[in-house]
Amino acid sequence: MRELPELFSLGVKARSLAYLFVAGACLGLLTLILPHDEGVQDLQLYVLAAIAIAIASLIYVQAERVSEWQLHLVLAAGTTILSFANYYTGTSLYPLLYTWTALYAFYFFALRVALAHMVYIGLGYGVVLAIQDPDSPAIRWLLAVGTPLIAGLLISRMTDRLRAQQLEAAESARELRQSEARTRLVLDNSPDAFITLDRDGIIRSWNVAAERMFGWSAAEAIGKPFRALVTPPEFRDRHDERRAALVDSEDPVATQTFEVELQRRDGTRFPAESTVSKVDVRGEVLAAGFIRDVTDRLRRQEEREALMREQAAREEAERVAELVSGMQLLVDAALAHRTLDDILSDLVTRVRGVLQADAASIHLVEEGDRLVLRAASDGNPGSGPFTGERFAERVAAAREPLHDRESEEANELIGVPLLAGGEVRGVVVACAARSRRLSADDLTLLRLAADRVALAIDHARVYEREHRIAETLQRSLLPERLPHLPGLDVAARYIPAADEAEVGGDWYDVLPVPGGGVGLVMGDVAGKGLAAASMVGRLRSALRAYALEGHAPARVVEQLNRLIWTEADESQMATLIYLVVDPAEGEVRWVNAGHPPPLLVNGAESPQYLEGGSSVPLGVLPFPEFEEVAVRLDPGGAVVLYTDGLVERAGEHMDAGLGRLVTAVKEAPSAPEELCDHVLHALVPHGGTPDDVALLTLRTIPMTDRFRVEFAAAPEALASMRAVLRRWLRHIGGDDQQIAEIVTACGEAATNAIEHSGAGGRAPFEVGGRMEDRDVVITIRDYGAWREPRMGDHGRGLSLMRALMDTVEVSPTPEGTTVRLRRTLQGVDSDANGGP
Amino acid sequence: MTDLVELEIEERGEVVVARLSGELDIAGAPGIGERIHDAVPTSARALVIDFSSLDFIDSSGIAMLFGLARKLGSRRQELRVVATSGRPVARVLDIVEFDRAAPVHETLDEALAETA
Repeated sequence: MRELPELFSLGVKARSLAYLFVAGACLGLLTLILPHDEGVQDLQLYVLAAIAIAIASLIYVQAERVSEWQLHLVLAAGTTILSFANYYTGTSLYPLLYTWTALYAFYFFALRVALAHMVYIGLGYGVVLAIQDPDSPAIRWLLAVGTPLIAGLLISRMTDRLRAQQLEAAESARELRQSEARTRLVLDNSPDAFITLDRDGIIRSWNVAAERMFGWSAAEAIGKPFRALVTPPEFRDRHDERRAALVDSEDPVATQTFEVELQRRDGTRFPAESTVSKVDVRGEVLAAGFIRDVTDRLRRQEEREALMREQAAREEAERVAELVSGMQLLVDAALAHRTLDDILSDLVTRVRGVLQADAASIHLVEEGDRLVLRAASDGNPGSGPFTGERFAERVAAAREPLHDRESEEANELIGVPLLAGGEVRGVVVACAARSRRLSADDLTLLRLAADRVALAIDHARVYEREHRIAETLQRSLLPERLPHLPGLDVAARYIPAADEAEVGGDWYDVLPVPGGGVGLVMGDVAGKGLAAASMVGRLRSALRAYALEGHAPARVVEQLNRLIWTEADESQMATLIYLVVDPAEGEVRWVNAGHPPPLLVNGAESPQYLEGGSSVPLGVLPFPEFEEVAVRLDPGGAVVLYTDGLVERAGEHMDAGLGRLVTAVKEAPSAPEELCDHVLHALVPHGGTPDDVALLTLRTIPMTDRFRVEFAAAPEALASMRAVLRRWLRHIGGDDQQIAEIVTACGEAATNAIEHSGAGGRAPFEVGGRMEDRDVVITIRDYGAWREPRMGDHGRGLSLMRALMDTVEVSPTPEGTTVRLRRTLQGVDSDANGGP
Repeated sequence: MTDLVELEIEERGEVVVARLSGELDIAGAPGIGERIHDAVPTSARALVIDFSSLDFIDSSGIAMLFGLARKLGSRRQELRVVATSGRPVARVLDIVEFDRAAPVHETLDEALAETA
């Protein structure tokens, strides 16, 4: 059985007992004062009343300290006093007094204890009845004990119910407390602040999280208006509006969720998410809200957004990068090449590659504003080569990029005009077969590239035109064929720069000069292209004119300097060597205007640079001194002239190149053609040189006891022939008079040979000489018809020959005439010349 | 290097002196002959051709010389030639017996003295 709780505390019980005692005593005293039976023993009763009051006083004073059993003793004492009172009053109504203690027991004690007190009451009254022995004692006892017993049982049952109710109330109160504690715990440990406001916005509750969140303790916050405490000033009006809307809402459980900015105690602010519900508590409207600090969430959200933005930016950047790299690839194609054809063929391939198109083509506007297909990629869709000509025409007419998704020529076409200087210079077209669609990006890429490509193409075209002119001009300025020089062997080479960048200003020339000599020219005009080529042209004509007038080398070069100085602009400058070989004298004379030194090879001697005769380049000073220097040139000797392109290499001193040239010439065969080939092979790297290379070699014919030289059938050749002859005759040991006489005789024969060849006859004549013992035998052979000498000049020629030579034989044949002249050289030892 | 043949004309009173240098062959002779002829006015008494600096002469040069002698003779003008003996020109003049057409002197001074 469940232990029922006490309804009253001991203190209450004790004080109630005291009141009961006093009330009993007072009632007893009152009965004594009133008229009553004679048999009543008043004195004893007064004593009992006094005892009862004394006990009551004691209990009252000790009310908070008495124990349960002390109360039982006092109650039992009360019963005893009542029993004595009954005894002393006789048979009066006093047994009613037992009701007091009985009801007290039933009221304040448990039923069993109360029944025990009833037993004591029954025993006490039984003793009193036994002593008094009145009439019908059983009835008296039953009435005196039964009445309070029944009343007591009723009271006891009532108090039991009261106690059970109190127990339930306590239980429910405890449960309520526990529930509240849990709720409070939940709310306090919640990361969210939980706050309730009344309809005026005054804070009514404030959990631990709220304390943490705002820095205000619950004690500080509760009772204050929410808006003043945590709402930043600029948001207070909105807070009021929201609160009003919530509490005035028809909906009894209205809920709002919103984001707000709130303020901490220290003034810092933070973003918060607030969920507020309207709560009706017994007619009082409250606003209960959870507030969550969303700083972290916002930061994460911001980070996520930033990440997404970054990703988007990266994708955009990648797209642009792809665009740019594609464009760069196309522009590179335009810039990597020099010639237009190279640019176009590379470009068209790259356009196809970059756009992953199926075909591409380039059309350029040519003379007469015609659009001409200049390059088309391979891999064309469909049958036949793709050109997109009609589409190109449309793009050119539109002057802007076009995108045709359903063209007749191909499935899909994009095209952009090549615009330079505001003019359409061409069109680039790309085509896609069914499988792939060209995008707007592709068109953008092509358009961006086209702007730059157009310029490059334009430059290339202008450049090529100029280059072509300059090249033509330069070719025309270099000797097409070297002149035939009796007794001299000449070879020349010209190698344009490897990258064909521009026509250089290198030039050379070979020209017979009066007196049987030959002039060699090697020059280099500073600069390139058309300007340099035209300067070469002027120098060449001027040099030829001055040289043919018979001026000495220094004088010729002076004239050239004056030409450049007066005619050309300030920046024009040229280096030049003018070297004259006199085979008869066995001598070279030269002037060097700032040019690399020529190389001289005299027989078996080591090649040597002709360092002398160096002056400033042409066009540097108005009146420079040009020094003319001469050195011996033995028969069989050679001179090598060149431009710096042959010996200059990037990153090394020119001396290294000059050293290589000496080595190469030393190792080379002596014949000029072979010598040139050998030198170029040795000095020009595979793939060419960055600069133009010009090389010119002259070698005099070595002298032996015989020679054979062809001469042009022209009066001008006679001087050369005499020079060759003099040199040979001197070589074989003739004296001056003999030489003069033989040369005169041969001159007559040669004059005849020239005449035989006729006015327009270009067949050369041949002069050969040999020694037979001490005899000089000279044969002059022509390919014309012999004419009988008339009297006069020609007859005189023949008589001169006969007078000067020992024998003269003339052998005319249908093919030509041979004149054989023989003369014995006096004072020449036949053995000295060795061999036949 | 000199031109093949060079001509200098000098008038000494009534005497014209033509000094030749270089080599005289068929390439130069006809032109030189004309130039010398043109340089001699009808008023001139004599022409002296100085070969002392000439290195070479051939039959065309000799022909030119005979031609001049003929033309001057028809105008009654005197022709004298200077050639240093032992030199190639003197040898040729000797062979063709030019002295039958006009006197050949060893020096210019000697020739001029004769004209005076």
